[in-house]
Amino acid sequence: MTESILIIGGGIAGINCALNASKYGIQVYLVDDTPSIGGMMARLDKTFPTNDCSICIEAPLMYEVNHQPNVEILTNTEVRRVKKGNGLFKVRLVKRARFVDEEKCTGCRACVDACPVSLPDQMDGKIGGMRKLISIAFPQAVPNAVYINPDCRFGKLRQKGACVGGCVVDCSQCRECPIALCVAACKKEGKDAVRLWQSNKNIDIEVKSIVVATGIQDAPVPSALYGYGLYDNVITNTQFERLMNAGGPTAGQIIRPSDQKHAHRIAWVQCAGRGLANGLPYCSKVCCMIATKQTIITKEHDASVETTIFYNDLKAYGKGFWGFYQKAIEKGVRYVKARPYDVFEDPITKDLTIRYEDLMTGELKKEEVELLVLSTGLIPSDRNQSLAKVLNLELDHLGFFKEKDPLFAPLETNVEGIYLCGGATGPIDISESVVQASAASMKAVLTKEVS
Amino acid sequence: MDESVRVGVFICDCGSNIAGFLNVPEVVEYARGLKGVAFADEGKWSCSVDYLARLKEAIKQHQLNRVVIASCTPRTHEPLFKQSVKEAGLNPYLLEFVSIREQVSWVHMGQPEIATQKAKDLVKMGVAKAILLEEGEEVRLPVKTDCMIIGGGIAGMTAALHIADQGFRAVLVEKDVQLGGLLNRICRVAHHHQTIPASEIARTKAALVTSHPNIKVYTNTEIETVQGYIGNYKVTIRSKEDNRRETLDISTIVVATGMREIEPVGQYGYGEDPRVITQLQLEEILIGMSKNPEPRAPCLSGRQARSELKIKDVVMINCVNSKNQSRGCCNLGCPISVKNALALKEINREIRIHILYRDLSMVKEEHFDLDQAKSEGIKFVRFPDDRYPVVTRANGNLSVHVHDILLGRELEIKSDLLVLTTAFQGDDTVEKIKGLLKVSANSDGFFQEAHVKLGPVDFPSAGIALCGCAKSPKNLKESSEEGTAAAMRVSIPMKRGYVEAEGIVADIDPTECTRCGLCYKNCPFSAIQLGDDQQPSVIKALCKGCGLCAADCPKECITIVHYSDDQLLAQVEAALEEKPGEKILGFVCHWCALGGVDMAGVSRLQYPPNGRLIRVMCSARVPVKLIERAFELGAAGVLVVGCEFPTCHYITGNYACENRMERAKKKLTKRGFDPTRLWVAWCSAADGPKFAALMREMVKQLGLS
Repeated sequence: MTESILIIGGGIAGINCALNASKYGIQVYLVDDTPSIGGMMARLDKTFPTNDCSICIEAPLMYEVNHQPNVEILTNTEVRRVKKGNGLFKVRLVKRARFVDEEKCTGCRACVDACPVSLPDQMDGKIGGMRKLISIAFPQAVPNAVYINPDCRFGKLRQKGACVGGCVVDCSQCRECPIALCVAACKKEGKDAVRLWQSNKNIDIEVKSIVVATGIQDAPVPSALYGYGLYDNVITNTQFERLMNAGGPTAGQIIRPSDQKHAHRIAWVQCAGRGLANGLPYCSKVCCMIATKQTIITKEHDASVETTIFYNDLKAYGKGFWGFYQKAIEKGVRYVKARPYDVFEDPITKDLTIRYEDLMTGELKKEEVELLVLSTGLIPSDRNQSLAKVLNLELDHLGFFKEKDPLFAPLETNVEGIYLCGGATGPIDISESVVQASAASMKAVLTKEVS
Repeated sequence: MDESVRVGVFICDCGSNIAGFLNVPEVVEYARGLKGVAFADEGKWSCSVDYLARLKEAIKQHQLNRVVIASCTPRTHEPLFKQSVKEAGLNPYLLEFVSIREQVSWVHMGQPEIATQKAKDLVKMGVAKAILLEEGEEVRLPVKTDCMIIGGGIAGMTAALHIADQGFRAVLVEKDVQLGGLLNRICRVAHHHQTIPASEIARTKAALVTSHPNIKVYTNTEIETVQGYIGNYKVTIRSKEDNRRETLDISTIVVATGMREIEPVGQYGYGEDPRVITQLQLEEILIGMSKNPEPRAPCLSGRQARSELKIKDVVMINCVNSKNQSRGCCNLGCPISVKNALALKEINREIRIHILYRDLSMVKEEHFDLDQAKSEGIKFVRFPDDRYPVVTRANGNLSVHVHDILLGRELEIKSDLLVLTTAFQGDDTVEKIKGLLKVSANSDGFFQEAHVKLGPVDFPSAGIALCGCAKSPKNLKESSEEGTAAAMRVSIPMKRGYVEAEGIVADIDPTECTRCGLCYKNCPFSAIQLGDDQQPSVIKALCKGCGLCAADCPKECITIVHYSDDQLLAQVEAALEEKPGEKILGFVCHWCALGGVDMAGVSRLQYPPNGRLIRVMCSARVPVKLIERAFELGAAGVLVVGCEFPTCHYITGNYACENRMERAKKKLTKRGFDPTRLWVAWCSAADGPKFAALMREMVKQLGLS
C-alpha cells in the first residue's frame, strides 16, 4: 500500500503542504470543513508587500492540487476520531452533506439563479453581500460545485420564503423533490445533481502522519468598541478587504454601508481592542501591513481619498515591508501615532468623529471621517478546541496549537507524527505559512511507520 | 495544408448556459464546413462522463488527429479534456480549447445572432490553430541525490539533516572553521519564555550533523566554481587551510549563507569608545559572564564587569541603521534587546537598563516578555522617528540625550555601556555566490527568492533553494523551519529522480541563429545555456514556456511548442478574415488576464462583442510582428493584456511585454499605423469589471459602437 498522509485544512498552507507531499510521491488526503479549499487567502483582494492579486496567485495552486492524481480533496469534511495503532493513525472522517452531487454538478449556477431566498453573507453581510441558500463558495471554488445551506431543508427558513420550507416530509425520506426550485432548475439543464436527501458520510482512512493546517480567524470586535455594531459606517478590516475586492459584494467599489456612497475620508484604527477585557492581549503581527496595503489600494482606486492610520507600534517586520510603508507615505497616507479613545456618529450624515490623543504632541484632537475601519487582530480558529481533543494535542494558553519544542524541533507536537503549519501556530503571514507548510510536509513524509 | 489532418470540433451547450444564448447547432454546422474539419458534434454537457466517452469514441471512429473543444474556459477544464484526448490515444498537445461560455454566451446575453457569429469566429480561430498543432511531450531530466548545502548555521544544518535522513547524500560546506554560524556568537536563545544556551543548540545540531553517515562536512572551505544545472552541477571547493581543491558532482543546492551585523562605525562613538558596542558584542560579553573564565569580548572583561560591578547603567539604542531611507525593520532588534536586557538583569538586578526604541515590534508571546522586562524595572523610552538620541562624552562619562515621546520631554541618561541594536546584511560571500549560481540579491546582500509569497524558499532556477538569514533576518525557529522547508523543495526532484517540463517549451533553430546571446541573457529561469561556441540551446526540462525569448529573438529562430508564431498567426488571420474593421484582436495571458475575462463571464458582465481573444501563456510571448500583421489585415484595434504588476507567473514577463509594446508603438508609427489603436492593459484574475470596462472603453475610443 502506498504511504498516505492527512492534511487538515485547505487554505494556502494546506494546499502547499499537499502539493509538496504529492509531488514527493505520497498519497494525500486534503480535508477542509468548508465547501471549497482556498481558506483565508481566497477572500483577500491583494497581498502585501507586493500587491499581488490574492486569488490570481492562489487559484492556479488550487487547480493544480485538484489535478494531482495522488491528492484526494475532501471538502465539507471534519475529522471525527483518530486512533493510533500499528504505527498508523486510523482516522474517521465525516463528510457532511452538501446536498449536491459533487461529481455531477458542473458549477453552472442555474440553481443559484432559481433560488428565491438570499440571506446576508456571513462574511460580507455588513457591506451588502448576500448569499442564496444554494450557492457556490466563490467563483474560483474547488471543487467547482454548489452547496445548500442545511437550514433550508428543515423548514427553518420557511418565513424567509424557502421553497421547500412548507413541505411536511423530512427530506431524508424522499428521493424526488417536486417542490424545490433548485432541483427543477438543475433538471431543466439536463442534470440531476441536487440531492436534498443526501446524508453525512463516514470515511475511514489510515495515514502515517497528520498535518494540522486549520488556520486562524479574525478577532471579533469587543462589544460596541468605537461604535461597531451601533454605527453603520464602522467596519472591520476584513470587511474593508471585501469592499475593495473586485470579486466582492460591491465589485471593488469602496462604498460605505449607510448610504452606498463612495467614502472620501477613511480612517483605520490599529490594535482595536488590544488590552481591553474582550480584546487581544498580544500583537497579531500582520495588521499594520494589512492596513498599509488597504490604504495603498484605496489610493490606487482614487488618489483623492484621504486615508489615515491610527497606530501604536508599526510592525513592518518582513522583507520589503518597510519599503511598502514608505510607498504608502509617498501616496499621501497619513500615519498618526495615537490610540483613539472614542468615536461619535453624526446622526444625519452618519459621518464619524474620532477623538484621540496625539502621542507626539500630547494634544487632544478630533478628526471626522466617512468610514472607519477597525483592525482587531487574529485569534485561534474556533476549530482548535475540538480538534485538539480529537487529535490529543495540547493548546497553548492563548488557544493556538502548542509546539513540543519550538527551538529544537519546530512544528512538531506532543503527538509523534502530527505536525503544525500556518495559522494553527499563531498569527502569521502568507509567505511564512508557505515556509511552514513546506517544512511540515518534509516532516510528514519523513515520518516512519513504526509499530 | 497537410491533407492527413482531421480536426474534430466538439461544441458544448453547457445545458442552457451556452445553448440558451447562441445558436449552437448553427455553430456546429459552420464548423463542419471549415477546412480540415472531419467531424463536428454538439454536446449537452461535454465534461460529463458519458459525453467524454462519446468524445473518445468519436476520435477513434473518425480517425481524428486534432481536437477543438468549444465550451467553458481552459483555466478550469483543459486538464480534463487533455486527459480524455490522451485516453483516446492522441497526443494531448493536439487539443485546442475555445472559450465560448465565459467569452461569448455569458457576456453577450441579449444578442443571440451576434453571439453566434462571435462563437463561429472563435471556433474558426481554434480550428486554424489546431491544424498547425504539433505533438508535444513532457521532457524529463534525470536528477540524482547529491545535495550541497552552502553554510553550516542552523538553517544549513537543519536542511542537511532532513536531506540525509531520506538516505540522500548531503555535502555541507562551511567557510568558517566550525559549524554553528551565528549561534556560536550569541549567548542564549529565547522563545516562549524559555531560554536555552545557544551553544547547546549549536553543539547538539553539529554533533548530529557530523555523526550522520550521509552527511559530509567541509569546514574552512569555500566554493570556487559552480557549473551546470539541476541534476548536473560540477562544483569545485577549496580548503582554506591547505588550498586543496576537490570537484563534486552535485544534483541540487541549498543556499544558507546567513547574515552579519552592519558595524555602526563612527556612529554614537562606536569604534572610538570601547564602551559603545553592538548587541552581538554584548552577547559575547554575556557568554563570558555566564561560563567562560577567559573573557572573549574584545572591549570589556565580563568577569570584571560582574565582580567589580563596573556596569551600572546600560543604554540600548534600537533601530540603528534600520527603518531609514535605505533599509527596513531588522525584524529581530526589539526581541534581542529585551532578551539581552533580561539576561543582564539576571546577572545583576542592580543594573539600570534603558531601551530606547521607535516602535516595539514584539509579536504574540514576545509581548509577554515585554511585560516581564517592565516588571524587572527595565525602562523603555520611545523616541521620534526623525530624532535619534545623541551621545556625548565629557570627562570620560557617556551620556545619552533623548526625546521621550510619552513624557514629552528631553532626557539625559547616564551610561557606562551603550549597546547599539544594529541592522543586518547578507554574508560577505554573497556577491561571489550569486554570480556562481546566477541568482540575484538585494542591495543589503540578501538573496532574492522566486516569489515573495508563494516561493519563499525557492530561486527561479530549479534545483536551488534558499533558507534562513541568507534571505532576510530571522530568528532561530524561523531559520530552522526554513531549513526544513528548503530541504523539502530540493528533495522533491531527488526523490522523483527527475524534473519534468510541460510540453510547452522553447526550441532554438541553430541554423538561423546568429548567437547574439539575447535569449540566454533574458531567460528568467536560466533555462538557456551557451555552448563552447556560444551557441545557445534550451535545457528543455527547465523551460517554463513563457515565450519571452521567442518574441524578442531578432532572427525569429525560436519556436514555442503549442504557441508558435505560425499558430498564433493562423489565429490572427482567421479572426480578421471577415469584417476586420469591426474587430479588436486581443492577446491575453493565461494566468491573470484570462482569469479576468473569465471573471467577467462568471459575473455575467455585459460588454461589446468586438473582441477576438487569443490566449498566450504570458504577455511576453506577443511579438511585435503579429501586432503589425493584425493592422495590415485591417483590425480596428489590438489589445494586449497581461498580469497586473508585480504579479507574473513567469517573474518579469509583463515588464518585458511593457517595454516591447513601447517599441511596437514606435514601429507602428513608422509604418503609418495609428499607434493609439494598440492598447496595452494589465488585469488581475479577480478583476472582471476591469476587463469589461476596458472593452467598453476601447470600443468607444475606436468609434466602433
